[in-house]
Amino acid sequence: MTAEWWALACAVTVAMFLGLVWRARQGRIRVRNTTADTDVERTVFDQLPQEINRTLRERVPAGSEGSQAVTLLQLSTTFCAPCRHTRILLAGLAERTEGIRHVEVDLTHHPDWSTPLGVHTTPTTLALDSTGRELFRFGGVPRRDKLTEVLRPYLG
Amino acid sequence: MPAETLDPRGVRFTAWMTSGILALGLVTTSWRVLAAQTALFALCAFVGLRLNPWGHVYRQTVQPRLEPADEADREDPAPVRFSQGVGFVFALLAMIGYAAGWDFLGILANALALVAALLNAAFGYCLGCQMYPLARRLVPSGRSATDV
Repeated sequence: MTAEWWALACAVTVAMFLGLVWRARQGRIRVRNTTADTDVERTVFDQLPQEINRTLRERVPAGSEGSQAVTLLQLSTTFCAPCRHTRILLAGLAERTEGIRHVEVDLTHHPDWSTPLGVHTTPTTLALDSTGRELFRFGGVPRRDKLTEVLRPYLG
Repeated sequence: MPAETLDPRGVRFTAWMTSGILALGLVTTSWRVLAAQTALFALCAFVGLRLNPWGHVYRQTVQPRLEPADEADREDPAPVRFSQGVGFVFALLAMIGYAAGWDFLGILANALALVAALLNAAFGYCLGCQMYPLARRLVPSGRSATDV
């Protein structure tokens, strides 16, 4: 086989491998261990530098102001196709379900947020309780039934 | 807000055609094949997706046989257009590589473009779109972005 055919075979193999890995990870719900380095559970806000914290607070009021049980904080970027699908799904879910709020932040305008939040691909959605503690997170477009099932215990 | 959304199956159809051309380019190492693909990418990225000839083929032959796409599944054209621009850069590099006799550059750029096109065609995953935050970091004040 010549170099060209090898290159073709490699490209096809790499594409199939990456595609299968990506598909397997799509929408999978992950629980991040926030108590790893400290004994106290920290909220998402505590993990952020102060300035970002303040901006995020404006979008996601906590405590008595925000009486919602769960906030789905979706981190998106501008040229991101699945972000649109995730937005439609989550906004619809929030509209139909009492106690759920959907907030979308475009990381394109806040690139410095990604490291403290641990978000390196978009869309990533963090599910926060009323105090801002991260319950779980998922990347990509979630499966509606799976997400509803995971959310149910938090909605009382 | 996008004025018009795209049928995702049309986008995938185009990606399959693009994959075919890029695979042909890879096995022939012909700069002419890459020149044709570079022109197609340029047309979609810089002129408009409506002019995409594969889109016309799709609308004429495949779309009439399918159920209309669900509104929630339809795609925002901005990421697709941006990714065509990324494709343009890689196809251009490959064309220059083949034409100048730098086969290694040609094959590398051609193969990378093929991986991206196949990911889009087979899985609906837009690798080119992932380049946007990177491009933005290099050119912070870059092109105007539609805010959400």
